[in-house]
Amino acid sequence: MPSARLLRLALPACILVLLVLVTVSLAVGDMPLSLKQVWQGLLRQDELAATVVWQMRMPRLLSALLVGAALSAGGLVMQAYFRNSLASPGLLGVSSGGAAGAVIAIALGWASLSIWTLPLAAIVGSAAALFAVIGLARSGASTERLLLAGVALNALLGAVTSYVLSMHTSLYERNSQILFWLLGGLEDRGWEHVLMASPILLAAALLWPLGRQMDLLSLGAREAQSLGVDVRRLRHSLLALAAVLTAIATAVAGTVGFVGLVVPHALRLILGPEHRRLVPVSLVGGAAFVLACDLVCRSAGGVKLGIMTSIVGAPFFLWLLRRQA
Amino acid sequence: MNALEVRHAGVPGRLEAVDLCLPRGCLAGLIGPNGAGKSTLLQICAGLLPSDAQVSWSGRPLQELSVLERGRLASWVPQEARFEFGFSVRSVVAQGRFAHGDDELGVDDAIAQFELGDLRNRPVNQLSGGERQRVLLARAVATGAPLHFWDEPLAPLDPRHALDLLHLGTRLTRAGSTILFSLHDLRLAHCLDYVAVLHQGRLRAAGSPGEVLTPELLLEVFGVRARTAPGLVLELP
Repeated sequence: MPSARLLRLALPACILVLLVLVTVSLAVGDMPLSLKQVWQGLLRQDELAATVVWQMRMPRLLSALLVGAALSAGGLVMQAYFRNSLASPGLLGVSSGGAAGAVIAIALGWASLSIWTLPLAAIVGSAAALFAVIGLARSGASTERLLLAGVALNALLGAVTSYVLSMHTSLYERNSQILFWLLGGLEDRGWEHVLMASPILLAAALLWPLGRQMDLLSLGAREAQSLGVDVRRLRHSLLALAAVLTAIATAVAGTVGFVGLVVPHALRLILGPEHRRLVPVSLVGGAAFVLACDLVCRSAGGVKLGIMTSIVGAPFFLWLLRRQA
Repeated sequence: MNALEVRHAGVPGRLEAVDLCLPRGCLAGLIGPNGAGKSTLLQICAGLLPSDAQVSWSGRPLQELSVLERGRLASWVPQEARFEFGFSVRSVVAQGRFAHGDDELGVDDAIAQFELGDLRNRPVNQLSGGERQRVLLARAVATGAPLHFWDEPLAPLDPRHALDLLHLGTRLTRAGSTILFSLHDLRLAHCLDYVAVLHQGRLRAAGSPGEVLTPELLLEVFGVRARTAPGLVLELP
């Protein structure tokens, strides 16, 4: 059992780590800024620093925070829904669904119609993938069944994305865009992407009060119902939130794997399984994790974010599988 | 007024038009061979399985009660529980107070009643089957509900905890609660106020154990011959 002191300090500690990462993230880059310059830039007292901070680094930073929070919270929601701590957007194909939706929208030329077309297409794709997983492995299904359903969906949706990709190889611009969704990254994210990611804040606010009910649901749907939880309604809310959080993160940054698995799981190991605590800490922790990974990517000369999170996440996943066996 | 009234409880292929009434303060057993429909009937009584049955608790039809109200009025304990996450024993028992705004009332009493004090901080996914069952029963008792539906609560318990549970059930029902639980031990069924016998999805007989559990019925329903003979008797010291 984690001590009461650890539990009290968890959220402030996460926020502190996040603030340090934010500061470092604004300071380092092709044009390094001192702390003083960052501050002056933030207050627009130094024109050059202001341009670097507000035009170049801040949108990417905010995109990273929102994407990280969304993927981490999406993983937490899916773990409670499926009653399985290995459920996560990447492993179950929900991210791939979002990417397939986004790629199809781009290939059809819809993405240029409005800023909201792309996230909407991603939401449709993610929701379809989520319903397919539920059809293949009901909640409370064994880990094997759930992961195999994810394997099948990932393969299928990867094929869809590759097909669309191969049909549009003549168009370099589209192709590079499509590759971007598959590898996942935060390069050139501007203020329009922050706007696109902003519904994540709403989803997080809606998720916040559901923590207690998620506790009960994660120990069994009938049991939760008998104790007074409106399970039907809760499940609908959780599904909608999981789909929206994953899809919007995917629309902004492409498929970024393992965040929804690693962050909630690691925090659960440290802080215990109570969702009233895990929801806020996962949001902040996910934001910090993706920001840290993106910092490493930037420092390592432009490694893609999706590659970095997989390098960290895949060994963690294998360790978890070994631990469960 | 009856604590529980069920009319036309049926699920195709599993249960057929079962009617059941239990008066307030009744400790009732539900018996029948494997696959007779006991778990299905208990879930219908608890309002957890969609069916055409008309169920009412203390005269109030179930469809008039909100989910939260149902959580205050009745408890249900499944036959077996799988815990994926390592919630502490105490926090699982405290979930029994969800419908009461998590007021924690009676949580520690329930923990003490089921002798879970030493395990209170242990993760539930590391407990033995019998310990898990006691946690779920403690959660059910912590709800303070006047109606309880328990699915084979005695099966994983050791002899003393089984007797403890019967003793607690007797105390709760004497204080006005009503308990319906399924069991396989026909000798224990003889100690109850009321037994209902399910056979092949139908209610075969119901009433006081002395009247219902005749050798003829036991032979027909369970395929066993009943004989009274001196043997081992277990009691609480």
